[in-house]
Amino acid sequence: MQFYRPARNIRLEQDYTADFSKTYPVPKNVVSILRTSCYDCHSNNTNYPWYSNIQPVRFYMDSHINEGKEELNFNEFRTYSKRKQNSKLKAISKEIKGDDMPLASYTLIHKNAILSNNQKQEVINWINTLENNEYPNNKQILQN
Amino acid sequence: MKKIILSAIVMSFVLVSCNQKNKQEETVNASTNTPETVKVNPNSFSIKEIVTDYLSLKNALTKDDSNATADAGKAMVTTLGKIDMKKLSGAQMKTYMDIADDLKEHAEHIGDNAGNIAHQREHFVLMSKDINDLVATFGTDQKLYQDFCPMADEGKGAIWISEVKDIKNPYYGSEMLTCGSVRKEF
Repeated sequence: MQFYRPARNIRLEQDYTADFSKTYPVPKNVVSILRTSCYDCHSNNTNYPWYSNIQPVRFYMDSHINEGKEELNFNEFRTYSKRKQNSKLKAISKEIKGDDMPLASYTLIHKNAILSNNQKQEVINWINTLENNEYPNNKQILQN
Repeated sequence: MKKIILSAIVMSFVLVSCNQKNKQEETVNASTNTPETVKVNPNSFSIKEIVTDYLSLKNALTKDDSNATADAGKAMVTTLGKIDMKKLSGAQMKTYMDIADDLKEHAEHIGDNAGNIAHQREHFVLMSKDINDLVATFGTDQKLYQDFCPMADEGKGAIWISEVKDIKNPYYGSEMLTCGSVRKEF
């Protein structure tokens, strides 16, 4: 079992042009929160800790990462249609508010990823400023 | 025995004549109801089944039935997978796929959340918007209404599409069944 080593979620050529932070003028504090608490599962680059070399930890982690990326990938956010971007923004807000994200199993180990009420509010408030998420009128979307 | 045969003959006569009447009404409706936005051959591309699945979902929510809602969500995912887009023009296909991709995700989430009606209702907000846009773009041959609930979605307000004029609120179900108003007719 220990010999089974699937490819890691790491992309060395880091192409950030489609990243979330390039889709809107995201304030630095929100970018920082998302990177710390979300990007491990919701991007193309995971920071693998030493114990990720051990099975079945690796299985568990990979399934989280695969599901996470499928649901939402911050690195590819700009490639989503405006409609989908809007749906995802709404989902991010709801998941953080309801404490469903980040996953408890993740924050158990990654204490720095736990979102304080302040941090949650910062992210949610910023999402709310995007013109009530009305995607056709979303004036803050950066021009291509 | 004779009476049974007689009543059977009368019944079949009535049923047949009723069917004839419906068919006539349908052809009349089809010719007067073609919306201007649609230049699509109605025989190969139709959103009718998607709308039907949506209405089942909506009705399940009005009855606070989370399991039926989830089933309808799953049915919609299946339907979306079977839609034939070949007859659409490039631009129409792009519009359709934009809406359908988003709609599918909401349907999947709703399907996966039997037992969590609050979460299903959250997704229903955007699903309704998608259905609204689908109907606005591709038209409908059944009468539909756009209804609005001002308190839904944490007070931001949300719409839903209904096949009946009576208000039956899917966001609040039995808690506030008649809350809402008709905003538009398709």
